Amino acid sequence: MKPGLWRQHLRAGLAAFEVTLRINAPDSFVLFTIVVQPLIIAIMAMWMLVERGAANALYVVVGSGMTGLWSTLLFLGGNSINWERWTGTLELMVGQPTPVAVIVFGKNAAVVFQSLLSMVASYTVAAILFRQPLSVEQPLLFAVSLLLTMVAFVSFGLVIAPLFLLSPAVQHFQNAIEFPIYMLGGFLFPIALLPGWTTPFSYLLAPFWAARALHGASTGGASLEELAFDWGMMLLLGAIYLLISGRLIERMLRKARSEATLRLE
Amino acid sequence: MDAVEVRSLRRVYRTTIGVLRRKAKEVVAVDDISFSLRPGELFGLLGPNGAGKTTTVKMLTTLLIPTGGTALILGKDVVHQADEIRARIGFIFGGERGLYWRLSGIDNLRYFASLYHVEPAVARKRIASLLELVGLADRGKEKVEGYSRGMMQRLHIARTLLHDPEVLFLDEPTIGLDPVGARELRQVIRDLQAEKKTILLTTHYMFEADALCQRVAVINKGKIVALDTPEALKSNVADLAVVEMEVFGVPQDVLERVRSLPFVDTVSLENVDQRQSLRVQTRRGSEAVPDLVGVLSGLRVGRVIVREPTLEDAYVRLVGGEA
Repeated sequence: MKPGLWRQHLRAGLAAFEVTLRINAPDSFVLFTIVVQPLIIAIMAMWMLVERGAANALYVVVGSGMTGLWSTLLFLGGNSINWERWTGTLELMVGQPTPVAVIVFGKNAAVVFQSLLSMVASYTVAAILFRQPLSVEQPLLFAVSLLLTMVAFVSFGLVIAPLFLLSPAVQHFQNAIEFPIYMLGGFLFPIALLPGWTTPFSYLLAPFWAARALHGASTGGASLEELAFDWGMMLLLGAIYLLISGRLIERMLRKARSEATLRLE
Repeated sequence: MDAVEVRSLRRVYRTTIGVLRRKAKEVVAVDDISFSLRPGELFGLLGPNGAGKTTTVKMLTTLLIPTGGTALILGKDVVHQADEIRARIGFIFGGERGLYWRLSGIDNLRYFASLYHVEPAVARKRIASLLELVGLADRGKEKVEGYSRGMMQRLHIARTLLHDPEVLFLDEPTIGLDPVGARELRQVIRDLQAEKKTILLTTHYMFEADALCQRVAVINKGKIVALDTPEALKSNVADLAVVEMEVFGVPQDVLERVRSLPFVDTVSLENVDQRQSLRVQTRRGSEAVPDLVGVLSGLRVGRVIVREPTLEDAYVRLVGGEA
């Protein structure tokens, strides 16, 4: 690829990022997914886990924030291509020179960025409503973990988005996918509490390594080596997701152009 | 080299019918069509609804893969070199969709300019001049959700010109516009043609094709049934006169009786508000009127006029009265 083309694609991706932020900002569904739902989960988890001494407040804040991150990614990021189809802009997205993957990356990055509000909302509830002491033990390592979490989630979303268009049957299970990932990802409680046969599935999910890193860095329960391993897994899985998503988007476009499904008539 | 070269292009849609016993069904939307556009030409593709116009445009704009045949845009194949084509063409499809309603007109254009790799400084200047061109300069900062259909259509025109494309595909651009808006848009199209853009325009407004296009292809049921200049197409019906009758509630059997009259060439019936317009093409001119009125006896008949044929009449004859 020519160097100038990289710059143009980057600019297009940033434009997709900005436009998505602006379109989502006044959306009440987005508000519910990013703020209200994680808040409900945070409040319930605080009562169930913290007040009974089963977990510390920071663990719950990070965990419920991650549920917001995942739900937002699933519903908004997962439908990022479908949404363009519903609004009649998918044909324009396909019929221009920027690769669709670049645009979807920008859109998903915006969704993940917005969903960081989930963590802020959960933190605020824990601090104000439950008056819990909340100080991140390893702030720098937490920041690195959060950055890599965003990368991992964006790339995970890039796999889901074309899959929803390739197979509407998969999309029908969208609601059913939401909670299992909360559990397999170990967002609110350790996966050691789940049956042993589920562990390999958790290992294949970047959100699981993200949760491990964020929990470890925030509570100070993980060494640098352990965090580095989590980061490495996030990067590795993120790279694999990107490769898979590239293929899926290519297949999705080929199928949509063959079957005339780029536009809903 | 032709700007657009279409050879034996074909598109079949496959679908299934039935619930338990599913049967595959094939619909031929475009059936072995060939035509070409010279650089700088304004070419019209005319046809009734469902004739295959939009399917053709979608294949030429790389959005739909043809079932057979080939299409080259600026020498590049629409299937295998789609990426190379996309930066050099612009397209609009009629209607209100395809814009981000929560963004302003300017923000929509800024976004598409980025996707089309237009440098920000160039985009700023071009957006201002395009909004001026399409008459939206004073409304550009408003959200698109508050735009009228005509304004959205004009914003689409601005969007498609952002990257200064060499070939434009305009699929029924004036559909749904009020007469003034449609006239302004036609002027924009004329201006674009003056800039030597190659334009493929689909429409079912004959006067539009007559006024704008250098050559016209008439497409019906997926096939091209005529391809010539508007003047040459009109000459095909030069020996006919058109009897236009204002009627009310013509039943199908009466329509068939009109069709079966020996001096009648083509018949079309169009609903206009509460009334209908019955158009009969005939070689007998005004002499045919008494016989036609006789067949319509018992029905309310309003104004009757006999006139010279237009391009629309040539088109009606070509598509067998289905316009």
